[in-house]
Amino acid sequence: MEVTRREFTKIGCRVIIGAAAGSAVIESVVMKGKAAENIPAGEYNWNEHFWGYVVDTRICIGCGRCANACKHENHVPFDEPVYRTWVERYRTKQDGEVVIDSPNGSIDGFSDDIPPEEIKKAFYVPKICNHCENPPCVQVCPVGATYATEDGVVLVDYKYCIGCRYCIQGCPYGARYFNTEKGTADKCTWCYHRITKGLLPACVQACPTGARKFGDLKDPDSIVNKILDEERINVLKPDLGTKPKVYYVGLDREVR
Amino acid sequence: MQPHLKKAFTLLALAIIAFIFVRSLVVPSSFGQYGWYRGDSVGDIKGFPVEYAGSASCSDENCHKLIYSVWFADRHKTVNCETCHGPSEKHVNNIREMPEPANDSRDYCGICHYKRAARPNTFPQIDPVVHGEDLKCTYCHNPHKPWFI
Repeated sequence: MEVTRREFTKIGCRVIIGAAAGSAVIESVVMKGKAAENIPAGEYNWNEHFWGYVVDTRICIGCGRCANACKHENHVPFDEPVYRTWVERYRTKQDGEVVIDSPNGSIDGFSDDIPPEEIKKAFYVPKICNHCENPPCVQVCPVGATYATEDGVVLVDYKYCIGCRYCIQGCPYGARYFNTEKGTADKCTWCYHRITKGLLPACVQACPTGARKFGDLKDPDSIVNKILDEERINVLKPDLGTKPKVYYVGLDREVR
Repeated sequence: MQPHLKKAFTLLALAIIAFIFVRSLVVPSSFGQYGWYRGDSVGDIKGFPVEYAGSASCSDENCHKLIYSVWFADRHKTVNCETCHGPSEKHVNNIREMPEPANDSRDYCGICHYKRAARPNTFPQIDPVVHGEDLKCTYCHNPHKPWFI
């Protein structure tokens, strides 16, 4: 068999490309099949759930017990300005200027540093990871250390994360932070260790007014589905196409 | 087959085998189990310890049944026990592990009840300057039954 140098190069390229493409196709097919069959061990079946979260900004009193409970439950460093959930305060002054603040993530409460007579409109907005159905933070992770589970929760693999912080920049809601103790990116898990045991997330349990609600979107009788059926709801930054699963009641146009 | 082709294909085969070998060492076995991530990490996160036990776990017959029933019948029933008394899962599992004593300072009650412009008007709020002088709130109000004076 006589082969010129050009032909040899052609054959070599085809073999390499074919091998790479073939293995990728086989792997994707195998993984899809696996993902559909398998469920993590234990009683909790993640195919039966799809979690959702509702925040009613009209009844939030800005006490910050949610942010406090979150830090205790998830061992978030108290001496660092990092939060998995926090409460923002929006105040529109008589002259139309909007002041937005969240001192220490609301953990110490709020004090009125603007005289009430200067304020036209004021309200609190609790913020938390939106656990987007189309999460930008998962797309940007270069090592597969962050992912969305089958029940709709976006988690971080703390052993696999290399701490490059792309996801922190990728999140349009500022919901991620860098955990200096773990040396990894970190975020709200909707208290995955609690919800898989049938408990509520710590922030929902701590809320004294019921401004935060958590439930299963696959269960038609869940509190979240009842609110979604009855109230006029919105999500943060809907134009980004991230499909957040934290739904807000009484969201003002100033809230971003 | 010509010898130089043989050589090239052998090298290619060796490179592929080396890649597969290194990959099997470096990539954890559960990677790709459910998707493009390490499947075992779901279990890791599920296994994190719970800190907040929830109010219902305080209501046991042999524990705080009486104060629980007082609290449950009044308006502070929406405030979880552990919001004031601190995370108590360790205490529930071992009664010798005591949680922090509840914070009964004026400012702690004020986190919810001081008059603030951004709070809904229907929520009970007081002006700390004129209300109750500098007495502790608990001097007049029972935190488990706040309207009992």
